[in-house]
Amino acid sequence: MAAGDSPIKQFEIKEYFPIEVFGLNASFTNSSLYMVIAVSLISLFLILAMGGRSLVPTRLQSVAELIYEFVRDTVRENVGPNGMQFFPLVFSLFIFVLVLNLLGMIPIPGVTFTVTSHLAVTAAMALLVIGIVIVYGFYKHGLGFLSLFVPSGVPGWLLPLMVVIEVISFISRPVSLSVRLFANMLAGHIALKIFASFVGLMLGAGIFGILLAPLPLLLTVALTALEVLVAVLQAYVFAVLTCIYLNDAVEGGHH
Amino acid sequence: MSPSDDRDKPARGEISAADREAFKRRTAELDGKLRKARLDDASATSKKRAADNGSANGREMGRALRLSTELVGGIVVGVGLGILFDKLFGTWPLLFILFFLLGAAAGMLNLIRSAMTIKTGPSDPSKGPAVPDDEDDDR
Repeated sequence: MAAGDSPIKQFEIKEYFPIEVFGLNASFTNSSLYMVIAVSLISLFLILAMGGRSLVPTRLQSVAELIYEFVRDTVRENVGPNGMQFFPLVFSLFIFVLVLNLLGMIPIPGVTFTVTSHLAVTAAMALLVIGIVIVYGFYKHGLGFLSLFVPSGVPGWLLPLMVVIEVISFISRPVSLSVRLFANMLAGHIALKIFASFVGLMLGAGIFGILLAPLPLLLTVALTALEVLVAVLQAYVFAVLTCIYLNDAVEGGHH
Repeated sequence: MSPSDDRDKPARGEISAADREAFKRRTAELDGKLRKARLDDASATSKKRAADNGSANGREMGRALRLSTELVGGIVVGVGLGILFDKLFGTWPLLFILFFLLGAAAGMLNLIRSAMTIKTGPSDPSKGPAVPDDEDDDR
C-alpha cells in the first residue's frame, strides 16, 4: 500500500469512453461501468433464480423469493395495501442500492468504486422518489394534496408559521434521503482506507510499529464487517423511507 | 410399539427376569431419546425465535439510523432557502436568520415524527428503545 495514496482517491471518477451530448459530459465512466455491472448481475440473478419456477424452490429461487417477500412486506407495512403499485419501484431501488453498496465492498485494486458514495447518484434517486410523490399526490388528490402542509389541530395564528415549517420539512426529505446514503458509504470507505493504510505505515516505522501493526489490521477486519452491515442497512433504510414518503402521496397528508 | 406389547405381557403370565431387565433398559433408552428430541425441538424453536428477534432488531436499527440526518436535512434546506431568498430580495442576512430557525424547527419536526414511528411502529413497540447499538448515528 503506497503511503502517498489519498484515502479519497478511491472516489475518483475515471472516464473510459468520452461522450458529449449537447455540450454535456455524458462519458462512460467507472461509475457507469459499476451501474451496468450491478444491473446485469441483478437481472442475471433474478432470471436464473426464477427461471425454474418450481413449487419447491431451489436455493437460488428461495433467495430471490425471500428478497421479494421482504420488500413486499416493507411496502405493505409502510405504504399500505393501496400502495402495491409502487412495489416495482421500491424493489428496483432497494436491490439496485443494495448491490451497488455490496459491489463497493469487493476490493479490486485500482478498479473498485462505490457508486452510492457519490451525492449526484443518491440525489438523483431521491429526486426521482420525491418527484413521484409530488406527481402521484396531485394526480390522486388534486389540490387536496396540499393539505399535507396544513397540520391538523393547530391554532389559527400559528398556522402560517407551521405551513412554512411543514414545507421546509417536506423539501428536506430528499436532502436527508440522499445525504444519508452518500455520507454513510463515503465515511465508511474512508475509515476503512485510513485504518488499512495505518498497517502499512506502521510496518515501515521500526520495531514498535511492527509489533503494533496487527491492531489496525484487526480493526480493519472488524470495520469491514460493520461496513457490510451498513451497506445492507442503508439500502433497507432507503427503501423504507421511499415507502414512507410514498405513503403521503397515497393517503394524502393525514398524519 | 414394542414397549406397549411388553406391558401387556405381565398380565397374562410370568416373564423372565432377563426380559424384565431388557424391558426396563429399553424404556430408559426411549425416555432418554424422547427427552433429547424434546430438547432439540425446544432449542430449535428458541433459535428460530432468536433469529426472528434479530431481524426485528435490524428493522428497529434501520429506524434509529434514520434519525441522524433528519435534523441536518432541515437545517440545510432552511439555510439554502434563506440564502436564496436573501439574494432575490436583497435582504441579507434577515431571511437567512429567519429560515435558519425555521429549518431547525422543521428538522426537529422530522426528528420527532420519525421517533414517533419508532415508538408506535407496527412491529412490537416494546423493542423500540432497546436498539442494541445506535452509536453509528453520528456518521
